[in-house]
Amino acid sequence: MKKSILLTAVTLLWSATLFATGTQYSLRVNGLSCPFCAYGIEKKLIRTEGVESVTFDLEKGVVMVKVREGVTLTEAQLKQLVNDAGFTLRSMSEQPL
Amino acid sequence: MKQVMRPVLPCVVAVALLALNNTDTLAHDPIFGIGPHVLYKDGIEAHLGAHREKAGQKKETELGLELSYGLTGDWAAGIELPYIKAEDGADKARGTGDARLFTKYRFWREDSLGIQETAAVLVNAMLDNGDDKENPPLGSGTTDTLLGFTYGYESLKWYRWTSIRYRRNGENGAGLRQGDKLFFDLAVGIRPTPPSYLRPDTVWLLELNREQGQRAELNGVEVSNTGGTEWYLSPGIFWTQRNFAVKAGVQLPIASNLNGSQAESDYRAKLEFEWHL
Repeated sequence: MKKSILLTAVTLLWSATLFATGTQYSLRVNGLSCPFCAYGIEKKLIRTEGVESVTFDLEKGVVMVKVREGVTLTEAQLKQLVNDAGFTLRSMSEQPL
Repeated sequence: MKQVMRPVLPCVVAVALLALNNTDTLAHDPIFGIGPHVLYKDGIEAHLGAHREKAGQKKETELGLELSYGLTGDWAAGIELPYIKAEDGADKARGTGDARLFTKYRFWREDSLGIQETAAVLVNAMLDNGDDKENPPLGSGTTDTLLGFTYGYESLKWYRWTSIRYRRNGENGAGLRQGDKLFFDLAVGIRPTPPSYLRPDTVWLLELNREQGQRAELNGVEVSNTGGTEWYLSPGIFWTQRNFAVKAGVQLPIASNLNGSQAESDYRAKLEFEWHL
């Protein structure tokens, strides 16, 4: 019984990963020197239509942004959002999930 | 001259104490000095602060509610509403203090990986809504202005700031004008542990603050026991988690050269809570 519950759970997780869609943007942001200040970037991005999550690696100066399927963020749009948060977008890349 | 000064002097000192609390302390700025931090565009910062100070027989506790708004990513403006409890020997008063309007513009920003260097100017207007008829007075009875310049260097480990401010005081209905004040601040900060976005973050601060005041004037005549220079060493801490911050510090006098006979500062202390909404 326990084995079948575990198997079902693993299968569900696997299928969720398999069918995950959308895009992940990796932003290289200059000027990120404190977590309290970085909140402005999260706030600006999370208000953007289609953005599902925002995570930070402050030491590498990287902001990871996940958006749902069908949503595209342009470099100009991201540059403006990052600038409005008080920082500088150095470069960006994207990959489908 | 001295007969005129006796009733005036306590008011001069009390109002001068009131004038010391007006600092813009947005986000990762020093606690007693100022820094170039502003807010993200359309951001709101709610700030609740307590300030306590003692100089001889005079004690003052101030609670302040401050709201700031990010007009752009480099320009913020706001208002501070203080509530004051003041004591001067046996005399006690409490009530609303002078409201303050402020704006800060970050005119220069140089970003690199994990480092931000910035410079900003700020303008404050201290209104005259506080009750200056109380004893001790809760307001200055004048509209005063302050102009400041600040530079800051911030990295993942080290912080450095410097600032200079000039406060121009107005003349009240009784012909009393507090002396203008010049503030100069140096501050350093260190973050012992590398930061992570969602983990609590601590920065230790040490400030050196200099305040130089001109003599007050009563109907154009200088009041002798007013004005002078004081130096402070001010350790502090800045603790944050995501969009919430706690700042605390104490200002300890290390040298003073006050004109005439005046009580030197014993200490000043601040505790502040900030939320970015």
